[in-house]
Amino acid sequence: MSFPAAAVFNLNHPAHTVHWHFFSMSASNVVVIVLMLVVFAVAILAPFPRYRGTE
Amino acid sequence: MSAQRRSWTARARERAVGALPPEKLLPDSQPVYMASWIYVFGVLSLASLVMIIASGSILSLKGPAWWHVTGVGHFFNSIHLWSVELFFFFLVIHLWGKYWMAAWRGGRARVWMTGAVAFVVAVPCALTGYVSQQNFDAQWISTQAKDGMNAVGVGAFFNVTNFGQMYSYHVLLLPAAVVALVAAHILLVRKHGIVPPFTLADRGELPARAADPEPAPDPGRVPEADPVGAGRAP
Repeated sequence: MSFPAAAVFNLNHPAHTVHWHFFSMSASNVVVIVLMLVVFAVAILAPFPRYRGTE
Repeated sequence: MSAQRRSWTARARERAVGALPPEKLLPDSQPVYMASWIYVFGVLSLASLVMIIASGSILSLKGPAWWHVTGVGHFFNSIHLWSVELFFFFLVIHLWGKYWMAAWRGGRARVWMTGAVAFVVAVPCALTGYVSQQNFDAQWISTQAKDGMNAVGVGAFFNVTNFGQMYSYHVLLLPAAVVALVAAHILLVRKHGIVPPFTLADRGELPARAADPEPAPDPGRVPEADPVGAGRAP
C-alpha cells in the first residue's frame, strides 16, 4: 500500500477484546473509557494556570 | 401604541433583546469559579463540532471516490473521523462534569435538556456517518446495526443498509438538528449564566459554631443568591 501511515499500526487481525464474566468490550473502547476517566479526574484536580499562586 | 410597536418584527426584537441583552450574549468576563479545567470541555466539544462541520462540508463536496483514493481525501477523511472521536470524548467529560455539579439548578432545566437531547441526536448522526463510508467497514456496521434497528421496530423507517437514506440523514437532517440544539444550548447558557459549584455550607459540612472565628471571605466563591455570577473575574 502506498499510504505510509497504514504501516504504523497493523490492523489486519481480529479486534482484541476484554472479557470479564458477562462484560465484553473491545480493548480500544476500554482504553478510551479509562482515558476519559483519567482526563475527568485531572480536570477536577489540576490547578488552573491563571489562578495558580497567591492571587 | 405606535404602528411600529404592533409589528411582529419589533415585538420579536424587543423580546430577543430582553431575554439576551448584548452584554449577556457576548460577555467580556466570566464568574471566578470558571477558573477550573472542568469548565473547558463544553467549548472543546464546540470546537470539535466546528471541525466536524468544516471537514464534512469538504468531504460532501468531493464524494467517496475522492476521500477513499487521494491523499488529500484521506487527510480530510481522517480529520473528520478524529474530530468526531474528540467531540464525543470531550462531550462525555462535559456531561459528567455537569451531572455531578447538578447543572440544572437555578432555573437551568432547559440548558440541561437541550444539552442532553443534543447528545442523544449526535449518536445517530455519528452512526449514519459510519454506515456512509462506502467501504467494507460501513457494510459490516450497517449489517450489524440493522438487527438492532429491527429489534426496536424502526428498521422500516430507518434503513441503515440504504446508503442514500443514511447519507441524507448524515449530511443534512441530523447535523441540522445537532447544530440547532447546540445553538439553543449555548444561547440558554448565555441567558442563565454558567452554573455555580456547590458551596460547602450548602452540604452542611461547615456547621456554624460560636467558638469559630469569622472565616475570611473566599474570593472564588459566588453565593447561591447570585446564581448568574455577578461576581465576575475580569
